[in-house]
Amino acid sequence: MATDIVIPSDLWEEDDETVITAWLVNDGSTVEEGALIAEIMTAKVQYEIQAPASGTVHIKEDADAVVAKGTVIGVVE
Amino acid sequence: MNKTNERKLTIARAMAEAVAQELRVDPRVFVMGEDIGALGGVYGNTRGLLEEFGAERIRDTPISETAFIGAAVGAAQDGMRPVVELMFVDFFGVCFDAIYNMMAKNTYFSGGSFKVPMVLMTSTGGGYSDGGQHSQCVYGTFAHLPGMKVVAPSNAYDAKGLMTAAMRDDSPVVYMYHKGLQGMGWLGTEPGATVHVPEESYALEIGKAKVVRDGTDVTVVSLGMGVHHAMKAAKELQEQGVSAEVIDLVSLVPLDRDTIRASVAKTGRLIVVDEDYMSYGVSGEIIASVTEHDISVLKAPPKRVAFPDVPIPFARVMEQFCLPNPDKIVAAWAGMQAA
Repeated sequence: MATDIVIPSDLWEEDDETVITAWLVNDGSTVEEGALIAEIMTAKVQYEIQAPASGTVHIKEDADAVVAKGTVIGVVE
Repeated sequence: MNKTNERKLTIARAMAEAVAQELRVDPRVFVMGEDIGALGGVYGNTRGLLEEFGAERIRDTPISETAFIGAAVGAAQDGMRPVVELMFVDFFGVCFDAIYNMMAKNTYFSGGSFKVPMVLMTSTGGGYSDGGQHSQCVYGTFAHLPGMKVVAPSNAYDAKGLMTAAMRDDSPVVYMYHKGLQGMGWLGTEPGATVHVPEESYALEIGKAKVVRDGTDVTVVSLGMGVHHAMKAAKELQEQGVSAEVIDLVSLVPLDRDTIRASVAKTGRLIVVDEDYMSYGVSGEIIASVTEHDISVLKAPPKRVAFPDVPIPFARVMEQFCLPNPDKIVAAWAGMQAA
């Protein structure tokens, strides 16, 4: 079963876009649920993205991509 | 190269992990600086430390670099192993007496009775329009003055190993990390710095340069951000049929002259890339280290790609005009052929 990796809607208040500053795993990596897998930044504040499930990560949006809340940046399956 | 399942860290996280691992096993280690506690450092390199180790060991300080760097020197002489942060290296002007008259010299002044085992970590570099008092490297300034080791990582693997080594070293170590390599987006992140970092604690030997790319036609020597410029230039040169060897200095003091000399003896050509000012700095020292040893190995006069001798401009286009970049390295090679 595939679980989307989504930019959360509750990390910051406004609807500012965010930039993916780093993927801390490679495409195709096996991860455990809750593992730190990426960092994003909005208005000079950095947030962590954790694996929403255990499985294999498939990256959809690369580092440096500018994305909005709710964007699916990858999947775990 | 990264294998699929190896975790990667930014330099910021690698530094924090190294410090945390040493804090767990060595009660003498503590951290001081501006905004290194609750905020986790303005460059993210002390994130999570306050939560795990508490305010006694992770100490936010007032804005007085003279006071807290001076306090660290005293604590180090008294048996502690402080890690202190000078937020921007540009701020050294207000606290240099504590650094180069006390931290660097007290071992000598005391005839060896005292050691000063401390780490002074400080951010370097520009490229994100922060003006001439927030964008400098001043590598040469620190490396010039005896009594301190000086290191500058270009990637997260080296960042962790150097930090661990610095905390365990009995000498004062100046740890210069480049803002553009930290993994903090607003500083203009270089993705090549985020690499695989083992979870277990490890130390790199301070004073060893690394050949990060083998080549036969020209040696490109750099450190920090410049290594990434050099690697990109080497790729471009390869398309022109030129084989560039790239050396990452990793450490400025001690300087690994043997590795540089061996490489130039092989290639016969030398380009030094340095984001610090051109004159009286790292680039001149590297060239002198080669030429005073054996000038006969050189097939062409060495070239420098460094920051011109002007204060760093705030205006983006002017700053970018001044900074080293891969195109300037490729152009330096072309200039060598024309000579």
